[in-house]
Amino acid sequence: MAATSPPVPKPERPNPLVRVLRLVFDVRVLGVLGQILAVVLVVLFFRWVATNTAANIDQLGESQFICRDGSSSFRCALDFLQSDAQFDIGEGPLDYDPSKSYWTAMAQGALNTLKVVAIGVVLTTILGTLAGIARLSNNWLVSTLARTYVDFFRNTPLIVQLFFIFFTVFAFLLPKLDEAIPLFGLPIYLSNRGINYPTLTLMSTAGIWFAFIVLGLIQGQVLWMYLRRQEDTTGRSFAKWPRVILSFLVVSIIGYAVARSWTSTHGIMSSVALRIRDFDDIDPLVRQRFGVNFTDEITGLIDNRLTLEEAVDAGRIRVGGERVTQEMLDDGTITYEQAAERYMSLEGLSSFDYLTEEQVDANALQVCTVRESKASLNFTARLDSIGIPYVLDAESRADRVTENYISGECEIFVGNLSMLAAERQVVELARASDGTIPTASAHNIVAITEPPVVTSIPRLQGLNFVGGGRLTTFFAAMLIGLVLNTGANVAEIVRAGIQAVSKGQTEAARALGLNEGQRLRLVILPQSLQVIIPPLISQYLNLAKNSTLGIAIGYSEFWLVSQTIINQSGRAIQVMVLIMAAFLSLSITISVFLNWYNSKVVIKER
Amino acid sequence: MAALIERLRGNSAETGSGPAFNPAYFMQDFIGAGLGAYVWLAFIGLLALLYFVGQLSAAPLSTIIVFVVWLVALLWMVRSEVVKNHSTVTQWLQNNLFSNLANAFLTLLLVLFIIAMIRGFINYAFINASFSLDPDVNNEVTNFGQDGARWGPVRANFTNMLVFRLKDELHRVWSLLAMIVVLLVPSLIYMRDDRYRNSWPRRILSWSWLFSPFMALFFMRGFGEEGQPFQWLGLIMAVGLAMLGIAFGFLSDNVLEKRGEARAVQLARSVLSLARVVLIPIAIIWVIANFSGSGPFYAVDVDQRWGGLVLTMVLSIVAIVASFPLGVLLALGRRSEIQGVPWWIVYPVFLALTIFYIRESPAAAANARTTLGAIVAWWPIILPLIAFAIHRGFKGNMVAAMSTVYIEAVRGVPLITLLFASTILFNLFLPQGLELTDVWLVASAFTLFSAAYLAENVRGGLQAIPRGQFEAADSLGLNNFDKYRLIILPQALRIVIPAIVGQFIGLFKDTSLVTLVGLFDLLDVTNKISSQPDWLTIRTEPYIVILIIYFVIASAMAWYSRRLERQLAVGQR
Repeated sequence: MAATSPPVPKPERPNPLVRVLRLVFDVRVLGVLGQILAVVLVVLFFRWVATNTAANIDQLGESQFICRDGSSSFRCALDFLQSDAQFDIGEGPLDYDPSKSYWTAMAQGALNTLKVVAIGVVLTTILGTLAGIARLSNNWLVSTLARTYVDFFRNTPLIVQLFFIFFTVFAFLLPKLDEAIPLFGLPIYLSNRGINYPTLTLMSTAGIWFAFIVLGLIQGQVLWMYLRRQEDTTGRSFAKWPRVILSFLVVSIIGYAVARSWTSTHGIMSSVALRIRDFDDIDPLVRQRFGVNFTDEITGLIDNRLTLEEAVDAGRIRVGGERVTQEMLDDGTITYEQAAERYMSLEGLSSFDYLTEEQVDANALQVCTVRESKASLNFTARLDSIGIPYVLDAESRADRVTENYISGECEIFVGNLSMLAAERQVVELARASDGTIPTASAHNIVAITEPPVVTSIPRLQGLNFVGGGRLTTFFAAMLIGLVLNTGANVAEIVRAGIQAVSKGQTEAARALGLNEGQRLRLVILPQSLQVIIPPLISQYLNLAKNSTLGIAIGYSEFWLVSQTIINQSGRAIQVMVLIMAAFLSLSITISVFLNWYNSKVVIKER
Repeated sequence: MAALIERLRGNSAETGSGPAFNPAYFMQDFIGAGLGAYVWLAFIGLLALLYFVGQLSAAPLSTIIVFVVWLVALLWMVRSEVVKNHSTVTQWLQNNLFSNLANAFLTLLLVLFIIAMIRGFINYAFINASFSLDPDVNNEVTNFGQDGARWGPVRANFTNMLVFRLKDELHRVWSLLAMIVVLLVPSLIYMRDDRYRNSWPRRILSWSWLFSPFMALFFMRGFGEEGQPFQWLGLIMAVGLAMLGIAFGFLSDNVLEKRGEARAVQLARSVLSLARVVLIPIAIIWVIANFSGSGPFYAVDVDQRWGGLVLTMVLSIVAIVASFPLGVLLALGRRSEIQGVPWWIVYPVFLALTIFYIRESPAAAANARTTLGAIVAWWPIILPLIAFAIHRGFKGNMVAAMSTVYIEAVRGVPLITLLFASTILFNLFLPQGLELTDVWLVASAFTLFSAAYLAENVRGGLQAIPRGQFEAADSLGLNNFDKYRLIILPQALRIVIPAIVGQFIGLFKDTSLVTLVGLFDLLDVTNKISSQPDWLTIRTEPYIVILIIYFVIASAMAWYSRRLERQLAVGQR
């Protein structure tokens, strides 16, 4: 007989009302209902805000949203960006003037922001890494100094640092422009007007040189692989780096020479009477004009004049008991000869030759060109390297230059060969139709060889620098402040990253017999980098956001320009939305990248 | 000496004591090996030599003394190394200053450099400086801060920098400080020791601290309108309110507690308790406001009156206190795992909205003047994308979605844009006729900003709590509220104290940004010095002073955080 199990009691079905109630009062259902309620409340809140805003704007009496047809609609909120900006922006890469639109102004600001952020990120990384390593130095003084730097910049507000740099360091501590001293002996001049630095300009032959450089890189790689294979097969060890670098240098130097001797695109046009058939003909011509045997003498004679003027400024020259001043020299009360005689007897010199400014200007090469053209940069750089004095007459358009050339204001026309060929026809036609006596019967065009890269070095001329590039004080102060401040944070991140690698790893690397460099490169860095990089990137993001402080010291970045637009157009809401959207998209892009990087780099633990 | 020479020859066996000394190893250690080491040594050596010669002409005496001390210390260290008999000092010297020859040169270079810096600063700040309050004397003594400091402007304006326009009503500031001292001193005794848990002084102190913000506001700002007359009716109503509060408190404390802890009773108790907490302070404020219309603590316009360090501190403290609970809530919201809104609700609703709005788009696109305008006219297209994001990213969890969006949006924009938005836009958002003063708008912007960052810090702490803690709390039968209050949050917050304090230090520093929206904080008052007729263009010295002030306060916060961390880590195993 099978054991009978006790009958399972049938669950009693509750009545429908209770079932519905149970469903409704279930925690999950309540949760969902609560969330929906919350969303509805949030939406209602925003509607309330929107209604208030609309009412407030109406009361201000200005319509923010005028459309093309004159009606007022929310969707035309951004149309005002098309109208003229009517304010000036201090600096920027775009061709901007007050007649351009608000859009252009914003783009200019955004590009300025990008500029300071891009340079800032690079410098911050260098400074932060150095300071972070210095923080771990085994020299107590070095680590203490690094800690002082980090503590100071982390515990004081960035805006005060910026003010201090801008109003104290730049205004009072740095020398005046004409007294600027080169930094570390390099042609970089720090003054209270900004930073003047040398620039490199790529000429049309640069492409050939770059092709050789790429060739050199490929060749170096091939050589490296070959040497590695040789090492593997023979078991001998080669000094690979020196050979690879040497081969690369040889190829790129050959490339430079090839590019230099390549058919040039630049040239000069001059009257046949001047007999310039080659660049080398210029030198004897100028020497003959100045009546000297060597070009260097000209510079020497100019320097003599400057020495004389310095003596005048110092009040050391007296004629007839009266102290000679620069004004007296300029208006001719005292001639240069008289002053020079006094100077000779003062210094006990037997002879003292010099060139006055008028003499230099009269005899110098009169060069005319299109402003900021590569051809003129190349030509003047070559004149500078020889020491030939010249007067540069730059116009913004080629036809104006031609007019100057025809009227005889200048004797040498610098430009592209194709442009010169066209302008030569103009010059000769002008002579025929004019009917007056021609300045010259015919004109030579001479090609000037161009190196792939021309350096332009800032030189002090009068009270200003010519050549090279200049960073404004606004930009420089902004950059220095951002770099010093963010660098302190990066230093802490680098330090923490290196310390996060356990001591055992170092010891294990030592036990394997790796040297200091290998230990750092192969063991420590790969592990610390994955700790360092996420916070590092958020520091870069911070730098970008902090660049909005440019408004405090007047650097024309995105936020300063936007603020000006708000003040001028009264469209606060639209501009604010645009700014926030811009920054949000930047940070969202970066955080998406960060998440991707994190998932990629985290070491899979076993 | 003889022993030293013997050891230098490598004859350690004859002298006997200590491990063997090998001159070759020592030289390799001390000078280094390899091309890199030699180049570095030559570079540092040359640099040190050049700087030494330069300093020798600038300040002969101190340079020679430094050099002699350096040489003696170096030789002493080497001697100890040779005879292998280090004292504590030589060991420290070897480890920290003279670990090799290049380091020794570096030490000399840096000591000379630091001494030159200190000498330069002392010359600037004290010896060549002028402390006179007379502008003419100041300007004669120095020239553009290059020769010496002019402390005159700072001395003349120091009260301004601290309290700005409240300097005529210093009793307000003193009252506030007195209140803080009166509360702080007993708190240091009663709040720190567990012996006093539930003792009456501690209860009184807790209540006082809870009430102290109102008192602070009363001292610094005053309640009500300026010159408000005394009203009997107001007084009677206030007293009535207070009595009602007391009665509620009595009910909740004495009557309801005895009836057991049924759910409804519990709820009623909380409500009554809350009513007491709200009603009594309101009544007290009302009474004070009634009497203070023209008294010493009359109401002032905070935008105009508050300034200097006082404003900086007010903004920091308000934002810190207010953002903390908000930040914790946001962190919990972002990590919440409640059942999300199911897809069959999310998608239909969003699709319906899309269709509803997109019907107007063609007309709007045609009306738009720019390409961007035409694109913007089709904005409803993003609605289904949002629905997709809500469903995929958050499983329909609206709490997590909204918290996340808030946190990321606020963290993505610069603080300064929020500050400008708060002063320009917030008043537009409010109903007509309601306008908040700038101080409160800015304080709210700081709070909203700080809460987002704080939420991320707290979330980091929550993530670090092992799953077992949650499960243990569940198995104890704690409800969600108690689980977080008693188990999770205390541990999570302890982990992230350094991060939170770091965030607060950042907030304190960021208050200097209110200068840009026209409030008179410490930095702004300092900037104003340079436009006073007596002290035109003088900025350097005031900036130095406020850099020091900011540095000291921020360092103190960092120091306290480290201390707190150590204290709380005691119980950690």
